[in-house]
Amino acid sequence: MAVQSEPDYSLFTAQEIEFVAEDELIEIVPNMRMDPLNLICGDFGPFLPQIAAQVPLWLAVALKKRGKCTIRPPEWMSVEKLTRVLEAERDSEREFQLLPFHYVEISRLLFDHARDDIPDIYMVRSLIEDIRDVRFHKVQSSLETFDGRTSAVQIKSLSAMEVNIVRPFVARALQSFQKLDSLLPETDSTPNNQPQEADKASKGRRVLRGR
Amino acid sequence: MGSYYDIDDIIAEEEPVSVVLQQPANGVGIDPSAEKNCVDQGSKVELPFWLANELCQRNAVSVLVPACFDEKTRLEIQADPACVDLRSRSPYFYEFGCKMAPIVGDRTLGFLLFSAFRSRYKELLTKAHTASYVAAPKILSRLTKEEVNLYEAAQSSVAAFKKWRVGGRRFQPASVLGRKRRSDE
Repeated sequence: MAVQSEPDYSLFTAQEIEFVAEDELIEIVPNMRMDPLNLICGDFGPFLPQIAAQVPLWLAVALKKRGKCTIRPPEWMSVEKLTRVLEAERDSEREFQLLPFHYVEISRLLFDHARDDIPDIYMVRSLIEDIRDVRFHKVQSSLETFDGRTSAVQIKSLSAMEVNIVRPFVARALQSFQKLDSLLPETDSTPNNQPQEADKASKGRRVLRGR
Repeated sequence: MGSYYDIDDIIAEEEPVSVVLQQPANGVGIDPSAEKNCVDQGSKVELPFWLANELCQRNAVSVLVPACFDEKTRLEIQADPACVDLRSRSPYFYEFGCKMAPIVGDRTLGFLLFSAFRSRYKELLTKAHTASYVAAPKILSRLTKEEVNLYEAAQSSVAAFKKWRVGGRRFQPASVLGRKRRSDE
C-alpha cells in the first residue's frame, strides 16, 4: 500500500490519503431521478430531483462530473465557522480545534470539482490554508518536547494529512531517542509526564466504520 | 542486532580508534614505520573500531576515547549544540558513540550524545519542515548521517504534500506505456 522507496517507515502518499478520504459522506442535491444504488459499502438512493441525499464523496464527485447533481458543502465549511476555528486555533497554544479528520482532502476535492457550489470560495480557501498553517506550526512546537523516556506521542484532534506529513520524521526521531537513551545509566525511573501521552497511531489509523 | 547488513552500520564501524595494547602482538604489520613486525605491550596504535571491539572483549587492548569526543567537542556542544559541525568530527557521530559507550570507560559519553542530539533535534525539526532548497546545503553539511536521514524524511513528505496540494493530473500514464515498442521480427 505504501510507497516502496521508504522501506523502513512507510509513508502513505498524499493520493492514498485522499483516496481514503473519499469515503466520507457528503450531501448532494441531484437533479435527475435514479434508482437506488446497491454498492458494497452501502445502499444509496433512490435519487429524486431536488431532494438532498447522503452519498460518499467519490460518488458525489463522479455524479457532479456528469452534471447530475450539485454538491452541498458540509456545514463546517462555512466562512463563519472557519473564521471561528481560525480564531480559536490562534488563541490556544497547544490544543487543536475539532475539525473533520480529512478536512484537507475534502476541501481540496470540493475546490477542484464543485467550485460553483461553494459560496465565497476564495474566502473559504484562504481560511483553510491559514488554519492549516497555524495547526502545522502548533504540531511542530508540540513535537519539540521529546525526551528519551517518550515512548509514544499523542496529539489530539490532528487531521489525516498532518499526521501523514510528520509520521516518518517522528518515527525516526523516536527511534533515535530510544537508541541514545539506552546508553544512559538507569538513574531514576520516573517516567516523564508528557502533557499529551498516548498512542499516535490511533490518530493516524483509519477507523473502520461498521457497515 | 539486526544491523549486520546495514551499510551505515558497517561504515560506522570503520572509524579509527586508538587503543593501548595490553599484550604484545607478534607478526602483525599494524605500524608500518616500525622495523620489526611485532608491537610491544603498552604501545598505542590506531585500529578500526570493529577490530578494537573484538580485541577489547578478549581483554587484549584497552580503548581510549577517540578524538571526535574530546574536550574541544564537548565544550562546543555545551555552548551551542545546533551549530557544531558534527560531520567533520565524524559522519557517524551518534552511532559511533553508541558503540563506543559500553567499551570505553567513560560514563559521560552517553549524556553528551543524548544532550547534543536533543538540542539539535529541535533545530532539525523546524528547519526540515520549512526550509527551502536554498538553505539546505549549508545545514546538511553539519549533520551526521542519522540526522540527514531524519531531515530528508521530513523534506520528502512535505514536498509530496505540496505537490499534491497544487493538484494537477489525477491519473498519470504508466511508465511502461511511454516507450515506443520496437516491432518484433
